[in-house]
Amino acid sequence: MASGMSPTAVYIHTPFCPSKCGYCDFNSFAMTGEIIERTVAATVREIETSPFKGSPAKTIFFGGGTPTFLSADQLDRILTAVRETHPPAGDIEVSSEANPGTVDSAKFSAMKQMGFNRVSIGAQSFQAGDLIQLGRVHQASDIAVAVRAARQAGFESVSLDLMFALSGQSMTGWKSNISTALGLNPDHLSMYCLTIEPNTRFYRLHTRGMLDLPDDDRQAEMYDIAVQLSEEAGLKQYEISNFAKPGHECQHNLCYWRSEDYLAYGPGAVGCMPIEGQSTRFTCLKHPERYCTAVEEGKSTWFDVEPLDDQALRFERVMMGIRLNEGMPLEGLDLNQSALEELMTLGWAELSEDRITLTSLGRRFCSSAVLKLV
Amino acid sequence: MKVARLSPSEFFHHLSWQGNSAMPLAPLDLLANHPQAVQFARRFRMDQQHIRNFCIVAHIDHGKSTLADRILEHCGAVRGTAQEQMLDTMDLERERGITIKMTAVRLSYTAKDGQVYEFNLIDTPGHVDFTYEVSRALFACEGALLLVDATQGVEAQTVANASMAMNQDLEIIPCINKIDLPHSDIDMAKDEIESALMIEADHALPCSGKTGEGIDAILESIVENVPSPEGDPDKPLRALIFDSHFDSYQGAVAYVRVVDGSVRPGDKIQMMSTGKTFDVDEVGVFRPKLERGQALEAGEVGFITAAIKSIGDAAVGDTITQAEGPANDALPGYRQAQPVVYCGLYPTDQDDYDELREAIEKLQLNDASLAFEPETSAALGFGFRCGFLGLLHMEIARERLEREFNLELILTAPSVDYIVHQTDGEVNHISNPSEMPQPNHIAKIEEPMVDATIMVPNEYVGTVMTLCQERRGVYKKTEYPSPNRAMITYTLPLAEIILDFFDKLKSSTKGYASFDYEPTSYEDSDLVKVDIMLNGDPVDALSFIVNRKFAYVRGKAIVEQLRKVVPRQQYEVKIQAGIGSKVIAADTIKPFRKNVIAKCYGGDVSRKRKLLEKQKKGKKRMKNIGSIEVPQEAFMSVLKVAD
Repeated sequence: MASGMSPTAVYIHTPFCPSKCGYCDFNSFAMTGEIIERTVAATVREIETSPFKGSPAKTIFFGGGTPTFLSADQLDRILTAVRETHPPAGDIEVSSEANPGTVDSAKFSAMKQMGFNRVSIGAQSFQAGDLIQLGRVHQASDIAVAVRAARQAGFESVSLDLMFALSGQSMTGWKSNISTALGLNPDHLSMYCLTIEPNTRFYRLHTRGMLDLPDDDRQAEMYDIAVQLSEEAGLKQYEISNFAKPGHECQHNLCYWRSEDYLAYGPGAVGCMPIEGQSTRFTCLKHPERYCTAVEEGKSTWFDVEPLDDQALRFERVMMGIRLNEGMPLEGLDLNQSALEELMTLGWAELSEDRITLTSLGRRFCSSAVLKLV
Repeated sequence: MKVARLSPSEFFHHLSWQGNSAMPLAPLDLLANHPQAVQFARRFRMDQQHIRNFCIVAHIDHGKSTLADRILEHCGAVRGTAQEQMLDTMDLERERGITIKMTAVRLSYTAKDGQVYEFNLIDTPGHVDFTYEVSRALFACEGALLLVDATQGVEAQTVANASMAMNQDLEIIPCINKIDLPHSDIDMAKDEIESALMIEADHALPCSGKTGEGIDAILESIVENVPSPEGDPDKPLRALIFDSHFDSYQGAVAYVRVVDGSVRPGDKIQMMSTGKTFDVDEVGVFRPKLERGQALEAGEVGFITAAIKSIGDAAVGDTITQAEGPANDALPGYRQAQPVVYCGLYPTDQDDYDELREAIEKLQLNDASLAFEPETSAALGFGFRCGFLGLLHMEIARERLEREFNLELILTAPSVDYIVHQTDGEVNHISNPSEMPQPNHIAKIEEPMVDATIMVPNEYVGTVMTLCQERRGVYKKTEYPSPNRAMITYTLPLAEIILDFFDKLKSSTKGYASFDYEPTSYEDSDLVKVDIMLNGDPVDALSFIVNRKFAYVRGKAIVEQLRKVVPRQQYEVKIQAGIGSKVIAADTIKPFRKNVIAKCYGGDVSRKRKLLEKQKKGKKRMKNIGSIEVPQEAFMSVLKVAD
């Protein structure tokens, strides 16, 4: 397989968590013991034997699960393997997700030391009730402690995650969460509307009518206030759910939204690379045991390989690109002309000479806009 | 088309369904001129004294297929498994053959008296929609095995089918099945046969289709008790068509009972209802393998092909006679298939209109009881008004059109055929609510009624009566075939039955109720047309006809149902129900305020893409009425609201 020589985003999936949150449908496991070390070793070996070895790294991102559930040493070994296999193309973003409650000053210092330069802290809410409902292991006060620890360790780019439209959440509660988060002076803020995904505890609760979720209208209000308060604090929206001080936009995630290639390692990690000239999305074995066994036996970890035809690629370019405030280039998309006009009539979109951009109203109807355009 | 591998009983079940002209199963193609397909006539020409024509009548699931299976085995018609035999023949289908429906099987039975008898086991459709077809199949028989499940007793379809068999003067042989089951109660079954059916059950034959117990006694009883046919072989030909189907090579294949005379390849025959003539290509029987023959003689059962181009020319119930020197009188009981349920059929995509027309025409080749004519709807565009024998028939047709012809359809709510008397004296049959004249032009409307028979354990009598009352039923009588079970008869408007009556009946009686109905007459009724409006515009395809007393409740319910099934749109949607210009119910669908995926990163892309692609497909299936996207299920809303 040819390794593309242009720099590529690299994603590492660490699937372990102290416990499984009620809303989470990511590939995560509340496991402890020997399997964690075994998975770290397997991930290192998977990276070292990558068919894309030599392809330079444009960004490196550790996600999960909870990357900070691993020890500093384990994180270091994986990061070292990434850098040896994919030499960083200059002074690149090296980012990790972190959960309050699994980090302290020592771990942040070590991470900074080994080369991480951005952390994204999963705060979710500052209300004890919300955190219990979500199944988070941390307390509200842990968030500020974690942010402070990250700053002390020297991180110049710190992000916070918040969730809204939680069961029973009031507008006041949500506003207070935003203000508290902004009060911690993050460089980046992600604010997600709770989505009930199949195969989660929340899904089962929801189908039994046991969640008191805000309706559509309320969700829209919560979203609008999030955008407004964040922008007022100098964190500019650059994607549907993401806000940043200028220069602190997540470079790794921008690669996804711009439909660039990405490499991925670790149980359940998803990558998208050209293979023999065809864009191909691949998913690694999800269960750590099976993933480890495959690596140890020298077999491919990819269990799902999806070649993307032109139609799928076009759909994805629109679906991802339109999420960005910078919009997407129109060239090569051959969008439905009458749909473009309809979006503008509705006040959902604006056209500049070569790009289409959603308006703040349009961002609320992002999926509808995609459906009209492709 | 392929038939999946089946177990012997499934196989015969398959055959039984094949006996029903509208069932959506693959026809079985057999090659007739296979070397092994022997000329049966020389070998098996029988005098009428040795012929027994019979059928099995039973309530659904009382074991008809399994019993038939055993009878086939005992008569040596099936060596190994039926499946092997059948598939054997199917391998030969490709060159040229005729597609058959195993609607009658000929068997040779050597009785205890040492003589060989020719048994013709005739299959009957098992659903109330096809009552007329059942009656014609019964006409082809002299006897019937009345099969009653020893654990269930007599059920509604037992009563309906047994009554029909008795009306045809068939010799009834009561058989009590499933005696191998621990809860079987032969005496209970006998009591119910006597009290509900007035049939002497002292000598009812206990049997088990599963173990084969009692089958020999049944076969002997057929020889002893079922009368032999008494047609006149020297009279002009008279053969009753009791089933037919369409084969793309041979044209219509008619399944007949020869009453008088005989028929041979080369004969010129005439259909007595139309006078049309045809030249017989082939005659033959199924044993169950197809065998072509030299003749079908008086008393015999078999098939005829004669390059009949339309299934309508081989109509069930018609009499075939010879073209030269024809019989004077047709066999009694012929009537044209009369649809009782109507609905509009529209392509979701108007570009598919021509394809839909072709598909319906093809379907009609195989299903003479399907009636259709072009229809236009302001909301749905060009489509067809189609008439069906019942709701099941309608569902089958829809499924076949969607599956076999790959069409996406919108069905409007089913309606019955009303007789509308206008003030100017004009009288019309109207099944499409949108054709209903203005209220001030209507003198009176008559609607079709049915007699419904419901059998139910005593504790549910009250529940059933309440349900019937709610559906404008008029109580007729209650009988008690056994101390614990009641047989309730109501006169009900057919329109109320074609709503969700059967579902409601089943759910309110924990599944214990069995149900049958037959059309009776038309009666005057105080009916009104309720229009449904979306953002002020009436949607013709949603309007419905209802008794005035129920107009408000139904109107309100349908508005509520529409609010549930019509998704939120970009704009507010007002839903109203009205009679004439008077609004009787209203509701509003608020516009959606957001439609956005919160999180979309590298691992989410494929899944979210597929999610949106699915939504896009779903949108395509919706009908745009004005600027409102209306899902297919909305047009069936009226079915869901009859509480």
